[in-house]
Amino acid sequence: MDEMRAQGQADEPAPERAGGVGGPSFTRPPQQEGDGRNVSPQLGDLLGEGAAQRARPPMERGAPDLIPTAPEDPGSPTYHGQAVLKEPVWTWEIPAYFFTGGLAGACAVLGGAAQLAGGRGVNRFVRRARLVAAGGAVASAGLLIADLGRPGRFLAMLRVFRPSSPMNQGTWILSAFGACSGVAALGSLLPLPRPLQKLADLAGVGAALAGLPLVGYTGVLLANTAVPVWQSTRNTLPVLFAFSGMVSAAAVFDLWPVPGPGRRIARRLGLVARGAEFALSNALHREAGVAPRVERALRHGRGGLLLRAARFGLLAASALDILPGARTSRTRRRVIGALGLLGTLALRFGVVAAGRASARDPRATFEMQRAGRGAAEIAKERRHPMPAPPGVDVGGRESYTHGAAR
Amino acid sequence: MPQEVGFFTDSTLCIGCKACEVACKQWNQLPDDGFRLTGMSYDNTGHLGASTWRHVAFVERGGEALPGQGSPRDGVQQHGGGMRPFGELVPMGQPAPTSLLHDLSPTHIARPGGDGATARGPETPVPLGPTQQALSKFSWLMLSDVCKHCERAGCLEACPTGAILRTEFGSVYIQPDVCNGCGYCVSACPFGVVARREDDGRAWKCTLCYDRLRGGMVPACAKHCPTSSIMFGPLDELKKKARERVEQLHARGVPQAYLYGEDEASQPGTQGLHAFFLLCDEPEVYNLPPDPVVPTAKIVQSWKAMAAGVVSLAALALVAAFSVRET
Repeated sequence: MDEMRAQGQADEPAPERAGGVGGPSFTRPPQQEGDGRNVSPQLGDLLGEGAAQRARPPMERGAPDLIPTAPEDPGSPTYHGQAVLKEPVWTWEIPAYFFTGGLAGACAVLGGAAQLAGGRGVNRFVRRARLVAAGGAVASAGLLIADLGRPGRFLAMLRVFRPSSPMNQGTWILSAFGACSGVAALGSLLPLPRPLQKLADLAGVGAALAGLPLVGYTGVLLANTAVPVWQSTRNTLPVLFAFSGMVSAAAVFDLWPVPGPGRRIARRLGLVARGAEFALSNALHREAGVAPRVERALRHGRGGLLLRAARFGLLAASALDILPGARTSRTRRRVIGALGLLGTLALRFGVVAAGRASARDPRATFEMQRAGRGAAEIAKERRHPMPAPPGVDVGGRESYTHGAAR
Repeated sequence: MPQEVGFFTDSTLCIGCKACEVACKQWNQLPDDGFRLTGMSYDNTGHLGASTWRHVAFVERGGEALPGQGSPRDGVQQHGGGMRPFGELVPMGQPAPTSLLHDLSPTHIARPGGDGATARGPETPVPLGPTQQALSKFSWLMLSDVCKHCERAGCLEACPTGAILRTEFGSVYIQPDVCNGCGYCVSACPFGVVARREDDGRAWKCTLCYDRLRGGMVPACAKHCPTSSIMFGPLDELKKKARERVEQLHARGVPQAYLYGEDEASQPGTQGLHAFFLLCDEPEVYNLPPDPVVPTAKIVQSWKAMAAGVVSLAALALVAAFSVRET
């Protein structure tokens, strides 16, 4: 019956509707898969700008998200306590990628340095570093692709080269790093003829060179957002992430030791990098401290907990490393390595969680900008303006028109 | 070359009817967001989102109303001289304008049995009831929020795929067939406009009705706005109109009125908005950031810090490797 009505509606006015029994009878037009548009395919075409948006019926989507609110405070107005920014949509894959990418990049740097220094017995260290770097590159690419809303389109990142987008730059860096570290790892694994070995060694140096930006750019990636914690710590974050990557790379060799001089390289670097990371995590709080509300996100909630855990892990690992006998005790080295890895992992998740918390808090954005950390800072940066890169001109416009209908 | 066009949203004219929200949904064929009540105000939309490209904010204020706000007495001579600001809202055919709060309420009651003012002098004034007293100390600010189409757009500069581009109309447009849903623009927008729809996996926002503009039509929200709160037109004309409106409001006794983001001078962080606003309170009250900045404008320092960090890292690695070298 309903089907007949729907057809009658489309072809001719249904006579029964005009003078139905008991007043006018309304038939609900059949919906397009119940997606919330209420557009009948007989009556309308789905051609609007938002018509391509895929939408499942609300029941499949689950309950609507509640609007997060901050408590009222007459002194600092907000809009019903609602967030001013959108919370980052990234899931656990992104902080996990920061960890694996930093680990892989720093391993390649270690391997490259050892390869350049050369010396007796260092080959096993170089080989291990190359393997970890290549494995980390593969894991990183997998994590990055898994986080995309449309994973099938991950190659769209490589259709342009855009210096204004740290994520685009990072994709190119990771691609170069993946290629170099893969070739270098193959050179270590396979018995290759001499010219190909030379190529693999060259790739090892290339991986180290690409690994340098790989360990640091993730900090720039976070800093290039409106999220208060990340934007206000934009000078510390990249350096912190770089040294954190080195801590995790050194920790790998504590956990999975190689015989020869490699252990000592890793231990020395680990000590220095842990100290630097601890100092930089203090600097992170200081840089964010211009607006107390922003710094609050680094101390409270899940982010604060993870960051405290990270600092504890670093301190504990350093203490164990400095106490006498650390060089010989195998168990203790393993504990140091595990603490280093867990600490750096907690650091990435902590920084991301603190950023999310600060994005949810409207007052973090307001206070930061009222404290002169918004556009007022550009005046200082005018001395070092973003150069007009190909793809984006001074006005922030596309200097070429990919896809723009004319 | 088509002109640069944009929106000027005058919050003093907004009546909160949400026709813009409905028109936008209908023209762009956006799915609904579920039917729920926020429980905080008449604003049950909450915020701009992937499938909500216009959003009317309802700000409830307990303090003194703006002159004339909340009362149709506007536009008449006041006792103390001067004009009320909203002359266009005077009811027609009335000897004197009525007020929902005062004139229609029974403030004057003739005594039973008497024949009114002629017999016993002036009528006895009756004090306002508690509800009316509370209402007279209460006012709305309403604002139809939308993507600002910044002159220098954070989402556009952050997009790693080049899916976001500047159209010939000066608007910022996300190409759905290129977007891969990385979510970077969501975090890069200083206004919290862009959102990713989880069903869909891509980022969406207001297109400034690109399809309508191409067909020579006015965007759906501006077309449907019944009070001309949303004005659409060439940017230079809009700015002129907006400045005149501010002057007019100042002359009529609303010194709070100001423009939000109409040019680079007022908003250096975005170098001006293509959808700018007339506000009567601090931006925070409307959920707008007071000093927004496109993150890319500050990022060179960050790259430099990174370079310094990784170069020292490389130096440390080399020192460590050479220091344990065995020959």
